[in-house]
Amino acid sequence: MGHSSKWRQSNMAERERDLHILWLPGTASCYGLQATWGMGNQLYVFPGRNPILQEDGVQAHNPEATEISEVRWDTDMHDKLIRRLVNQSHNIFMMLQSQAADASSATLKQQLVKCSKQYRSVMKACSMDLLEASDNTADEMDIERFQDQLKVFEMQELIWSLCEILFIDVAPGGRILIPLLEWLRRHFPVGFQIFKDILQQEKPEEHREYWECIYRLILQGEVEKVRSLLARHPARQTDCFLSMEELLKKMPLCSSNYKGSSLSEFEMKWRHWREDCERRLEEGDFATNKYLETVARILCGDNTVFSHLRDLCQTWYHMLISKLLYQNPTVKANDLQYYTQDCLDDFRCDGMLGDLDNILIAVFEFDSHQVLKECSGFFTSFWFAAHLTDLLHHGGCLKSHRLVFGSDLREYLLLDYAASLMSHKSLWQVGVDYLDHCPLFGRSYLEQYIEHMSYESEKKAVKLLHICERRNMTSQVKSICKVMGMRLLHNDRLGAALTWFLKSKDVAFATLVAEKFLTQYSDKGKFDNLDLIDNLGSSMLLSNRLTFLGKYREFHKLYEEREYHAAGHLLFSLLTSRLAPREFWITLLKDALGLLQLRELVYGSKQTCEMMHCLEELTKDTKHLEAGKQTTDLSELQENISLLQVALTKNLAKAIVTEGTVHPS
Amino acid sequence: MFVAKNIQSDHKDLIHDVAYDFHGRRMATCSSDQTVKIWDLGEDGEWHLTANWKTHSGSVWRVTWAHPEFGQVIATCSFDRTAAVWEEMVGEKQHDGSLRTWLRRSSLVDSRTSVTDVKFAPKHLGLQLATCSQDGIVRIYEAPDVMNLNQWSLQNEISCKLSCSCVSWNTSRIHSPMIAVGSDDTNLSAGGKVQIYEYNDSTRKWNKVETIARIADPVYDLAFAPNLGGRNSHLLAIASKNLKIISIEPLRRDSTLSGQSGLTKFELKEVAEFNEHEQQVWRVSWNVTGTVLASSGDDSCVRLWKANYLGSWKCIAILTGDGSPQETDRPQFGQLQGNQSAGGDRSVGNAGVRNLPSGIMNLRRNTGWPSFNTKKDQSNVML
Repeated sequence: MGHSSKWRQSNMAERERDLHILWLPGTASCYGLQATWGMGNQLYVFPGRNPILQEDGVQAHNPEATEISEVRWDTDMHDKLIRRLVNQSHNIFMMLQSQAADASSATLKQQLVKCSKQYRSVMKACSMDLLEASDNTADEMDIERFQDQLKVFEMQELIWSLCEILFIDVAPGGRILIPLLEWLRRHFPVGFQIFKDILQQEKPEEHREYWECIYRLILQGEVEKVRSLLARHPARQTDCFLSMEELLKKMPLCSSNYKGSSLSEFEMKWRHWREDCERRLEEGDFATNKYLETVARILCGDNTVFSHLRDLCQTWYHMLISKLLYQNPTVKANDLQYYTQDCLDDFRCDGMLGDLDNILIAVFEFDSHQVLKECSGFFTSFWFAAHLTDLLHHGGCLKSHRLVFGSDLREYLLLDYAASLMSHKSLWQVGVDYLDHCPLFGRSYLEQYIEHMSYESEKKAVKLLHICERRNMTSQVKSICKVMGMRLLHNDRLGAALTWFLKSKDVAFATLVAEKFLTQYSDKGKFDNLDLIDNLGSSMLLSNRLTFLGKYREFHKLYEEREYHAAGHLLFSLLTSRLAPREFWITLLKDALGLLQLRELVYGSKQTCEMMHCLEELTKDTKHLEAGKQTTDLSELQENISLLQVALTKNLAKAIVTEGTVHPS
Repeated sequence: MFVAKNIQSDHKDLIHDVAYDFHGRRMATCSSDQTVKIWDLGEDGEWHLTANWKTHSGSVWRVTWAHPEFGQVIATCSFDRTAAVWEEMVGEKQHDGSLRTWLRRSSLVDSRTSVTDVKFAPKHLGLQLATCSQDGIVRIYEAPDVMNLNQWSLQNEISCKLSCSCVSWNTSRIHSPMIAVGSDDTNLSAGGKVQIYEYNDSTRKWNKVETIARIADPVYDLAFAPNLGGRNSHLLAIASKNLKIISIEPLRRDSTLSGQSGLTKFELKEVAEFNEHEQQVWRVSWNVTGTVLASSGDDSCVRLWKANYLGSWKCIAILTGDGSPQETDRPQFGQLQGNQSAGGDRSVGNAGVRNLPSGIMNLRRNTGWPSFNTKKDQSNVML
């Protein structure tokens, strides 16, 4: 074991030296190279150096010197086929998080096993899709890409299922070999394929790989299949075949019939059987048939025969499990690591171990942190490492390992996975859920991402708004509304702009829009967006100007409905409560003109006096009248004022008379 | 990692700056050809030129976007001693592809020398911008009425005594306004080349709170990392003779020493220092979350740096163009791939990646390039 970790170290040191350079075609670095970040994992690279360092007289007419390259990475998940993996694993992830929050530890274990299997089935489904896609295309590049992705998925499945056996779905009573054998058979199906092939033949024993197939099957503990092959051999009735058949039949299988008995019972049976095997081998039962002798030596767990059959085992981890099956079938999970070295030695040709090897060694060593570290370095997307880490985290397989950032490995990987989703135009919504489950930095990352999220359409803005509102991100809510409102304001869509400012209760900008409405009214004599103004309701209280706008519109409605008294009183209160902006007084007074000219009396003497007072104040403070007005406007204004003066005076006279009639003093 | 697309900018001279708006849908480029170009990301995923105009009577050094809350606004600075604020005219939307109009809202002409940098303040400080110039003065301008960009008032002038090359705002909402200024003065004995200023609300003045003495070499660029909510310390990347990342952590305000106008005390730590660019580093840029830094320098490479999960900063990728010193490594890179498919030896490979065309690579993670025998292992892993 010590040996293997030394290997790994030198291997990693080796990798530190590796170059990892992206060469940008079409960029001339003689001009220098600089970069700016885009959104997410996106970088824009362009030629040039810092202006201060620029040599004088460098003129670049060369198009190479002015080309910008957009560089992206972590886009594995953006592929259409892989997107299914993103969405389905997202569902599993979310389910697991909610279950982990409230399940008791006993039920949680079951849930974890279930989730682990679900994750694997999603990977499998994705592999199938890739296989299909690769079969259905003629494009060489595409086929290559699909095949590459396929290989990655197969490796991920291999690692994941081993982790599932050793970390998550731990077999009771330490009978670890049964699931390991199943794992082996699933990932090394060559023996089984030849087996099927042989059965098709008329004369199976003449098949080129008849004995090789038997070796392969016996190395995977497929006793029944071996027996059925031997039973098809013409020499089956000879002594050596019969002896082998007897041995195989008596072999205390690690499978079903062994499940009922206790471990010690099995161990006893196993010892007896092994002694029988060794005796028969020694007595020369198989001396006449060298193939059967090899099989017998496998059954006896003979080290040399395994080395001999190295190529049939294909990998050290196949050999490990095959050897254990015949040498130590009751091995404990924790002891697996002590047997890896021998097998590694058998497979060491140039002394270098691959990443996959290192990952599997770490799994056998129960070094979960090492597994995840290696995985996150090995696979180009964070999908695998992030989800596996989360699963192991909930399974209690990760020691709470505080990192310098204050976040743990799980969060670190989830954040990176989310980052790869956040730069995609639709997957970002999945990313949000992952960020929600990062207790330390998730929220602040989300805030940053949302602030940089583009929302061209109203629909997307509303979606973002909901996300922020649900998470109580007030400052982001404000910002989204302001950007939307501002954009609409610049496009002169006042009504729509106001709706956004009302959403975020933005007093300053609601006031600004209200003022624009009023100016529009002064200019055109009518309101646009009547619907919105009519239905302001209590939101008009947000700003004084908005209240005025709402009330002023109310006045218009009353006037139209010929509710002259109500209209008159509303107008009067707008004027005297000083709710109306000064610049607007003249407009209000002009509106009053209509009421003053009615046959019935609307304003009493007291009110009329106050209105005269307002007019007086207005004429004295001419700056509100003059601002930005042409001289023609001014003369028109003067005319209006004198008209008002006359009307008010008349009204006063009328009021005094009327009031005098009703209440004679 | 791969080149997703190339954009032919058609500038008539070197590009000095490329700036993305907050939402990454618009891009502004500026050049020695005295123009600014605006590009918009279309529905087709391509960048379309939507405006192109002469902005200054000298090289345009920097271009920067204001937050979209203030509308579509950019600021530029130039060798012609001015900085300018530009706003896009909206109203009738042009769908016919004709160029949009940008209006010069204001010319900031206070500098008597080349204006080397211009940056908008974080939006919570309102519509403010900082410029710095060769004569060593940082100027803070403000548009008090965000609906009227014609009016910018000079709020403060900070004399840094040394020729200024770059300025950066701290984006923290919690901390009082803070800027870092870098100087390209080549006199090593002229003192620290990075100065940090903090705004005091009650005196309405910017006060120098730190001079980073250990950086005596000229500084060409610096940038505060976006401040994530939970982080108390501020990260500052500095492009100088080498690349440095400094963490600046505010300590308790010392009220006894300096009375009411007490300056914040800071603890400065060097988080990382890299010499990989061989000589000058001239530009630094942070990603959205402030977790990955891009730097470029004299070796004509762009390098990406990221802290691994143990908090130590490492190079995760290098980008390079034609004719750089790194180019010699390129054929070797291809060769490795070739070996791998030819022989069964355990050469460097990657998860199922065969020959990579130029412009594509796999990003190195914390452990670096995966190396295992693809051929051998993969052929044995079957469905």
